[in-house]
Amino acid sequence: MHILATEGLTKRFPTVTAVDQLTVSVGPGVTGLVGANGAGKSTLIKILLGLLPPSGGAARVLDLDVTEQGAQIRRLVGYMPEHECLPPDVSATELVVHLARMSGLPRTAARERAADVLRHVGLAEERYRPVGGYSTGMKQRVKLAQALVHDPKLIFLDEPTNGLDPRGRDEMLTLIRRIGTEFGISVLVTSHLLGELERICDHVIVIDAGRLLRSSAIGEFTQATQTVTVEVDEGLDELAARLSGGGQTVSRQGRMLVVKVLGPETYDAIRDTTAELDLCLIRLEQGRHRIEDVFRDEVGAHV
Amino acid sequence: MSEIYDIGYRHYDGVRLGRWHSTRALAVHSLRGIFGLGRPARSKIVPFSLAAIMILPAVVGIAMMALINQRGIAYSGYAVVMQAVVAIFLAAQSPTVVAPDLRYRVLPLYLSRPVSIIEYVGAKVVAMTVAVFALIAVPITLMYLGELVVDMAGPPATGEYLGAMAMALVLALLLAVFGLALASFTPRRGLGVASVITVYLLSSAAVPILYGTLYSSGNEVAASYAWLVNPFWLVDSVQSALFGTPPHSIEDGAYPGGVASVAVLLVLLIAGLFALALRYRKAAAR
Repeated sequence: MHILATEGLTKRFPTVTAVDQLTVSVGPGVTGLVGANGAGKSTLIKILLGLLPPSGGAARVLDLDVTEQGAQIRRLVGYMPEHECLPPDVSATELVVHLARMSGLPRTAARERAADVLRHVGLAEERYRPVGGYSTGMKQRVKLAQALVHDPKLIFLDEPTNGLDPRGRDEMLTLIRRIGTEFGISVLVTSHLLGELERICDHVIVIDAGRLLRSSAIGEFTQATQTVTVEVDEGLDELAARLSGGGQTVSRQGRMLVVKVLGPETYDAIRDTTAELDLCLIRLEQGRHRIEDVFRDEVGAHV
Repeated sequence: MSEIYDIGYRHYDGVRLGRWHSTRALAVHSLRGIFGLGRPARSKIVPFSLAAIMILPAVVGIAMMALINQRGIAYSGYAVVMQAVVAIFLAAQSPTVVAPDLRYRVLPLYLSRPVSIIEYVGAKVVAMTVAVFALIAVPITLMYLGELVVDMAGPPATGEYLGAMAMALVLALLLAVFGLALASFTPRRGLGVASVITVYLLSSAAVPILYGTLYSSGNEVAASYAWLVNPFWLVDSVQSALFGTPPHSIEDGAYPGGVASVAVLLVLLIAGLFALALRYRKAAAR
């Protein structure tokens, strides 16, 4: 089942083509939309919300047409904008209750849902204070809460980790992952940082200058490669020499050794050799591609 | 900490009401905002003191009817006489309705919901219209009830009262549309207040100047059109034409014919709505 699908979707502005012949489909779960700033991510979300008419092609969200059934789509999806969008003089509770009512929830249901959702995003007593005094992290949580308050089937999160410190970033990513799994709400999350999405997404779409570069499951991006990283306390040279002598392909990276895996015997060789040399083994880790590497390769290939 | 109370995410499977419900909720929310209800006490000071000032002449009017059996301000002339207070209310409160959503870019949060931009602007116009109408209608109604209670000699002026109420609604709509349009073009609150009050002052200062110049140069007919520059006298001239009430202009200057007044009123209303539509079309595209 597709949560959303586009077919040759194009959006031209007078001076720039923001989305260019984009054909992509997204299933349930957490999907990352990756691209540099200005790659067309925000424009794509606006089209999918039915707020911006496409210049060409078609798009369906939750099996509703974006040009014909925009209002119905907006009833079922949530949207967290990239920019600041909170009035400073109202409290988080007030704002989220009001926006829940704008989504069609009756007054009492709006109150209950707002309280529930604010708790889920981690806002406690501070939710009664005016938003103006909030930190960036708290503001991002309020923005997320208003996108969730009407229990949507799908939410669009535009750069949710923007402006957050590393800890806030981690918490936000964990929350997004929970929304996609525990809450059972599909998520389309944009970012220009690939490393972030790697941790939380089931599927990643990479766009550049409005064109699709790649769309595939996260597993395909981060395939385990045939190397293993070895870190020992000391005696690295000795170990490298011994392993090479035993027929293994070894390269040195800083304080670690990267050994090419030829088969199960490679692991045995590493274990036995360190034991024989009486070395202190600190780390033995399977090497992985980061999405960054893939992205760099793909962009490189296109340029 | 939060884990202790965590009962997991609950889905909402209750009713989802239609767009009309949301639009009405937005109008009520905006109306409460205009009077500072549900806001800190300082937000209530301006609207409620202006409302109190509006009611004072009505109280005096009731006292006059009861004690010396004389009418104070006529129902039909209440808005014109009190126009400065109404204008200050409009200038002070219009920005609270439209400015924050534009300035802090809250609009996308509305537009990503089923509410359309037309319903959004409509709800705001309705809220401001109701607020201005209440400001004018409450004292008039109070005075009318007073008249019934003190039982003045002669029949009660029910016809004039109802006419005044109808025209208060027309005036409220005209003022609301212009107040909101001006405030939406200047999303900083202070600027919004200043722009509305400036336009009002220009429109009322222009009347005596135009009228005097044209009148003294012998253009009496042209001079009568000067009254239409100010919204309060414009609506009063329509009232005069529709219900035959005496003009409440300065020194009883004559109004032009009813057709011209109604035409100007309609043109201004359409122009104001058009300006709002233009402004919000641009805001929605951001």
